[in-house]
Amino acid sequence: MNFKLIGCSHHRSDASVREKLAFTDNQVGSFLERFYDRFPKSEAVLLSTCNRTELYAAGKQSDLIPSREELIGILAEHQGLHVNQIEPGLFSHSNEQAVFHLFSVAASLDSLVVGETQILAQVKQAYQIAVSSNPDITLSHRIFQNAIRVARRVANETDLQANRVSIPSIAIGMLAKRIFERLDNKRVLVIGAGKMAHETLTYLKYHGAKQIYLINRTPEKAESLAEQHGGQAVPWHDLEHQLSQSDLIVSATAATQPVIELELFDRVEKIRQQRPLFILDLAIPRDVAEEVGDRLNVYLYTIDDLRQECDRNRKSRESHWPAAEKILRAETKLFMQEMQRRGGGAVIAQLKQNADTIKASELTRLNNRLDGLSDADREEIEYAFNRLVNKILHPPLESLKDESQQGTSGLLEALKKLFKLTD
Amino acid sequence: MDWLSGISITCFAASYLVVFALEISRIFFRKNFQTFLILGVTAAGLFAHSVFLVLQTQLQFDRTGIWIGNWSTWLLVAAWILVAIFVLIGGRKSQSLIGLFLWPVVLALIFMGTVFGLDQSFNSSQARSIWNMVHGFSLLIGTVIVCMGFVFGLMYLVQAYRLKHKVPHSRFFRLPSLEWLQNWSERSLWLSAGALAIGLISGIAINGLNDSGDKLIAWSDPVVWTSGILFAWLLIATLFNLVYQPARQGRKVAYLVVTSFLFLVLELGIVWWMGHGQPVENNVERQTAGLSIVHEAVYGGTPSIRRSAS
Repeated sequence: MNFKLIGCSHHRSDASVREKLAFTDNQVGSFLERFYDRFPKSEAVLLSTCNRTELYAAGKQSDLIPSREELIGILAEHQGLHVNQIEPGLFSHSNEQAVFHLFSVAASLDSLVVGETQILAQVKQAYQIAVSSNPDITLSHRIFQNAIRVARRVANETDLQANRVSIPSIAIGMLAKRIFERLDNKRVLVIGAGKMAHETLTYLKYHGAKQIYLINRTPEKAESLAEQHGGQAVPWHDLEHQLSQSDLIVSATAATQPVIELELFDRVEKIRQQRPLFILDLAIPRDVAEEVGDRLNVYLYTIDDLRQECDRNRKSRESHWPAAEKILRAETKLFMQEMQRRGGGAVIAQLKQNADTIKASELTRLNNRLDGLSDADREEIEYAFNRLVNKILHPPLESLKDESQQGTSGLLEALKKLFKLTD
Repeated sequence: MDWLSGISITCFAASYLVVFALEISRIFFRKNFQTFLILGVTAAGLFAHSVFLVLQTQLQFDRTGIWIGNWSTWLLVAAWILVAIFVLIGGRKSQSLIGLFLWPVVLALIFMGTVFGLDQSFNSSQARSIWNMVHGFSLLIGTVIVCMGFVFGLMYLVQAYRLKHKVPHSRFFRLPSLEWLQNWSERSLWLSAGALAIGLISGIAINGLNDSGDKLIAWSDPVVWTSGILFAWLLIATLFNLVYQPARQGRKVAYLVVTSFLFLVLELGIVWWMGHGQPVENNVERQTAGLSIVHEAVYGGTPSIRRSAS
């Protein structure tokens, strides 16, 4: 198996880096097209959320998948960036490490808010987009389907998701409550109609918000969300008026440019007359110009500002970590053994096939030279050849089987090199 | 019940100091026993404080004919009201560190009460009238509200700073929401201005009704003009808050109430440092001593001059 990943996440890259590498769903599709144009024999899955962008590449042979530099290059190229702009913030893993990482991500152990469930849906979506771009991603099928299964197992067998939390739940539950005494008499504006907006609305309703207005560039989506949660959809051109009237703004769009620019806020501020405003910018790239947060009585929080709260959440869930991690390690090991077994099986079959070809060719040559042999003699010779091949191949094949049971692949690789075999 | 008469300022001041120390400890850790201790020790302190005030006011009434007969008792009553408010608010906002900001004010009032001493008394010749009671009571309430406003305003500024600078939420250092603090700061501003206005009107009434030729305080007395400034400030701040919309939002309200308190501190400092104003003796000078009303409006009772006389 040849599997590698390159990416950036909230662990070592701040929002300014992550927003450069953020992809919308449409952009993921166009990126994959570009990827397959350049690396047609490789497989790719691109996972892009507000906290991470990770490119997974897989291939049947190691020389068929792009190198680390090539992966960085194509990411930078697609985003119109120079490699040096993104390389310092990127991490990479391959094979077993990469599988373990993907399993951790899907199970939300690597999330900013440990135990949140949104990430699994995002992993599934990334996988679906990859399948629709290239249905023939055999290896990625196995890895991602296993990742989804393992995430469900972790959720079922541990308490990691007990008292379910998410970034919006922390933002609303902890931050909004420090600013507002109650939410039922506050005017709330939700910009965007994606999953984050959906999640935020759940918590706003839970904390008693009643005057909720939803605004989105595609009005149908806002209307659908408003119907689901009981808010009121407003047209996009009403944004300025809505900003001037709101007490709490949650922005979670997929826009590549800020939705609330400083110039727009300047106009709004005159009408607001310094009324306190809490802005929660949950988008990557960010929806609200950073300078807006410097204005009097404006409290602007981005995802990175919630890090401390999330770290505390992480700590409070640490007691559930060993159980979850144990499952991930065991599942990674099992998966790698399975892949080794499958890979070993293919090598063995090739080795046997090669030996059979040589045997058949030599038998044919011998039969042609020895005309006077009876059928019984020919059968005896063929039997001897079979025994010879089997006896020669038996010890190495047994060793290969033993090795695949242990989950290592040194012998397999050596055999492939010695006999010029492929997976 | 003789032991009750043995209760001194030290008894309840010590209790409040312990509560203040417990409040400080809540910044670093939280245990159930802290809440129980805070409530228990506050209750004990409040009981001692109440007994002390009952005995003192009874004693002063027997001696001078007025219940709150001197500056010291006046300040101790103000402190008692603040503690009672703390108990009321503390029940609703038990997780918030309101005491951290309130107890220093209470302790400062008690300290000032001891500095002034119980032996100085207001002039009781006018203090028995209804007007004087209204006058003294409204000014006492006004002062307490200014103190509360200061506490709310200060908490607002701290909370706003923490939010603006994204200081992580602390499980221990908890304050009420900005909205709650802003509402109460604004109410404090209005109520304190209202109470002091009543004090001022009743002061005018007292002076208007007074034709006995009693001693009044000169225009130039620092207490008189600083008292005037305090009331003028509260009036301007309230009008500013009423007319200018941004002054009703966020930090501006907090600045207004904190500044009001600073004026009050200045006032009390001047009273402590310079003593009472020098009286003017005749009715002609009395015509020019209108600002003395403001002095009364701030401190209640008819300021007596026993300390300077003695």
